Amino acid sequence: MRGFFRRKDEGLDLERELRASRPQPRDEFVQMLEDRVHETPRRATRGGFRIAFVGAITACMLFALAAVGGLGQAASAVGDVAVTAQRIVNTQGPTIVKKSSAASQYGKPAKKKIKKKIKAKKKVKAKKKVRRAGRPRFTG
Amino acid sequence: MARDPLADPGPLIRRVYAYVAYRVGEGAEAEDLTSETFERALRYRGSYDPRRGEPVAWLIGIARRCIEGGRLGPEPVATAGETADPLDVEGSTIDRLTLAQAVERLDERDRELIALRYGSDLSARQIAEVLELRTNAVEVALHRALARLRKLLEGDEAAQADTRLRERPSTL
Repeated sequence: MRGFFRRKDEGLDLERELRASRPQPRDEFVQMLEDRVHETPRRATRGGFRIAFVGAITACMLFALAAVGGLGQAASAVGDVAVTAQRIVNTQGPTIVKKSSAASQYGKPAKKKIKKKIKAKKKVKAKKKVRRAGRPRFTG
Repeated sequence: MARDPLADPGPLIRRVYAYVAYRVGEGAEAEDLTSETFERALRYRGSYDPRRGEPVAWLIGIARRCIEGGRLGPEPVATAGETADPLDVEGSTIDRLTLAQAVERLDERDRELIALRYGSDLSARQIAEVLELRTNAVEVALHRALARLRKLLEGDEAAQADTRLRERPSTL
């Protein structure tokens, strides 16, 4: 054996040897496969045709819906769904309106009223005391 | 209209076959896998995008998947080295068989790199695209694979020289 796989400086070029000894297919096999490739028609437009077909169908459907007002109906249906969903999802309690005709008619809550009355009484008493203190003592 | 990746199939067939044969060994299995690769390529011909690489890199990607699919079965058996009797053939053929045997003894990763570089004749950049690695990493890995192959071949040569030395006294 020639020992072709010695180092490069001794005459070996492993890369060259690898390229030179690259496995080669049989000519008949290559020919057969080449014929197979050539006889198969190219269908490059297949993907484009699919997209165009889907686009055309969509356009037709939209046109038909628009003609009978289906788009508006669909939009309102979507709106209804949104409102319903909001109602279901919303967990907030009832809103209490503080400033209303009813509230002004019935006045403020009782507790606050009592406190104010007490405060008012105290004020009156204090005023009376001040008045008494201001006058000279009744000696009779 | 996109460029036809299979406009000139002859050289592509040879490169794909060389890659597959380096991976699984020459013979019927390599031919089957090459055929399967081209069948798939014909089926998905329209999906080829020239911006993503050369047709050969695209085909090698398909071939890799075919090999991986075929690997679910038993391991392929080496053919070239086992079927031929080295004593009956010329020196260059012996060299070729020795080299093929050494490549078959490399691990899967090294064999794939050798197959991509010297079988399908892809550049390091193209290999990096196929394997989704950096070009620098591919170059380093290839260098190491070649070093391992060289070591294997040198080991073979030393073993054969040793055998010849041992046989000599008996012939005298």
